[in-house]
Amino acid sequence: MAETAEDIRRRRNRTVVSIAALTLLVGALAAAPWLLSDYGLSFMINMVCYVVLTVAWALFSGTTRLVSLATSAFFGVGMYTVAMLIKVMPLYATFAVALAVGAALALVVGVLTLRISGMFFVIFGFGLSEMIRELTVWWEINQTHTMGRYVYVTFDAAMIYEHLLALAVIVFFIGWLLRRSRFGLGLLLIGEDEAVAQQVGINVPFAKVTIFIVSAVFITLSGALMAPRFGFINPNFAFNPLVSFVVVIMAFLGGLQRLWGPLLGVIPLTILSEVLQTEFPFWFSIFLGAVFMVIVYFLPRGVTGLLEDGWTALSRPLELPRGLTGPLREVWARLSRPIMLPRGIAGVIEDRWAKILPRPSEKR
Amino acid sequence: MTKLLEVENLTKAFGGLIAVNGLSFVVSPGEVLGLIGPNGSGKTTLLNLIAGTIRPDAGTIRMDGEDVTHLPNHLRVRKRINRTFQLARAPANMPVIGTVMAGVLYGAGERMRFKDAGYEAAGFLGELNLLTKADRRFDQLTYIEQKRAELARALATRPRVILLDEWLSGLSPSELEGGVSVVWSLAAQGLAVILVEHVLTAVRALCRRVIVMNAGSKIAEGRPDEVLRNAEVVRAYLGDEDA
Repeated sequence: MAETAEDIRRRRNRTVVSIAALTLLVGALAAAPWLLSDYGLSFMINMVCYVVLTVAWALFSGTTRLVSLATSAFFGVGMYTVAMLIKVMPLYATFAVALAVGAALALVVGVLTLRISGMFFVIFGFGLSEMIRELTVWWEINQTHTMGRYVYVTFDAAMIYEHLLALAVIVFFIGWLLRRSRFGLGLLLIGEDEAVAQQVGINVPFAKVTIFIVSAVFITLSGALMAPRFGFINPNFAFNPLVSFVVVIMAFLGGLQRLWGPLLGVIPLTILSEVLQTEFPFWFSIFLGAVFMVIVYFLPRGVTGLLEDGWTALSRPLELPRGLTGPLREVWARLSRPIMLPRGIAGVIEDRWAKILPRPSEKR
Repeated sequence: MTKLLEVENLTKAFGGLIAVNGLSFVVSPGEVLGLIGPNGSGKTTLLNLIAGTIRPDAGTIRMDGEDVTHLPNHLRVRKRINRTFQLARAPANMPVIGTVMAGVLYGAGERMRFKDAGYEAAGFLGELNLLTKADRRFDQLTYIEQKRAELARALATRPRVILLDEWLSGLSPSELEGGVSVVWSLAAQGLAVILVEHVLTAVRALCRRVIVMNAGSKIAEGRPDEVLRNAEVVRAYLGDEDA
């Protein structure tokens, strides 16, 4: 089983080439502020921000299979912390405070939601974001008598972009590490079957909370970095629940089985949202819903799955032409297959009950 | 004989149902202890208690003299107690070797690098004749292969006590023979094996000592032949003569 010298040399060459290619790519992206117009740069900021959010979301949800709708909670906490503190401390200090608040919130939420699974966790995440928003509104109205904050700092678009890009590089690096480490393997196993994960010796609650905090810290930081982008911030803007949904849909559209999968969802959806928001500003939510239905019905593994299938199809040896009947037969076979409907909330509830009241045959 | 696992006065109730009632026994290294009894007699609950899947209401579990009664599941794995599940279970979407690797990395064995764990895991699969199936998904394996894969996962954590929950059930006669020799070799390596089983031929072949449970209590203990002739055991399995 040991590697030969030839194998090692080849592997080393591959590593060198891929590091060089990635450095070039990141270098080119980092040069964007000098190459692009103001409009182009603001588009890139939007996109890199969603890259960080989606990949960070996938760190937690892609491995543990718990769908989190708490993205906007952490994003908002990051953004609003900066907005509240910008008048009393330097900008980088507000980033540090935002990071600490985000991590602390993730710790509390993680510990509280340990025993919650499936649908209940999804709803909890959504509720958390709304609750923090309402609390912030209440605080601002009753205690500070302000409804919104001005963020005026010398932190221009180019700076925001470079910082977000750095964050994206770090989050990708962590994702890469997770795919070849003990901790990452443990997380995958937790996502598959918690009982088995415990039975190989994994501390399941600890692992879940840890990755939740890591993921939340990145989301909080990108919210903090985005704060100087907007001159005026109010709670309803910072804790916009749409962010949570957009991130989930981007991640599912791209596919979670590869580290770069989410990119294939982020890029097309950011471009489309840009076009739709300039041309038909009210159509974006409807469009997002349609994309989600397409994913659920036709693309369960996302665009990545499509590419993988395409690749296997291309690399398969050519079959003899089967004439016109071949494709016709395939279409017929597809049509006559029974349609699989997602089982929806009812399915989740069924599973839940099955856990509480095992069927007699399983008990013994 | 030295004691490895000591169970004392273990009790667990689910609501009003007492699933395990004041059970005590001892297992030594290299011994195969049989645990038999009719359906619902509390055998699987007992295994769950020892593995740490659930906590007892009363009683103690000692491993090598150390009290492990209050340790959670994953820490008992590191105290070198592991088990297989009654319905073999493993992640369906992960190659078989991934689960075994996790066992190597998180178990009680020495710490090693991620890549070396792959070789180590391949070794465990090889011992159970599964090396060629290492990259298959769990649901692509046959029934007997699934059972072996699950055992490989358990062994990868380097247990000294292994709990086999009907690991030999549902096998063809030749598969059963292979399974029995696998259990035999575990005991020969010095593992303490607790075998919950309905297949009495296997119990007779493997165990020098058997515990019979009924309604949560121990009703007999001793050599398989003697115990199975015991009147109370016959009644537990077959009911009263005039019933």
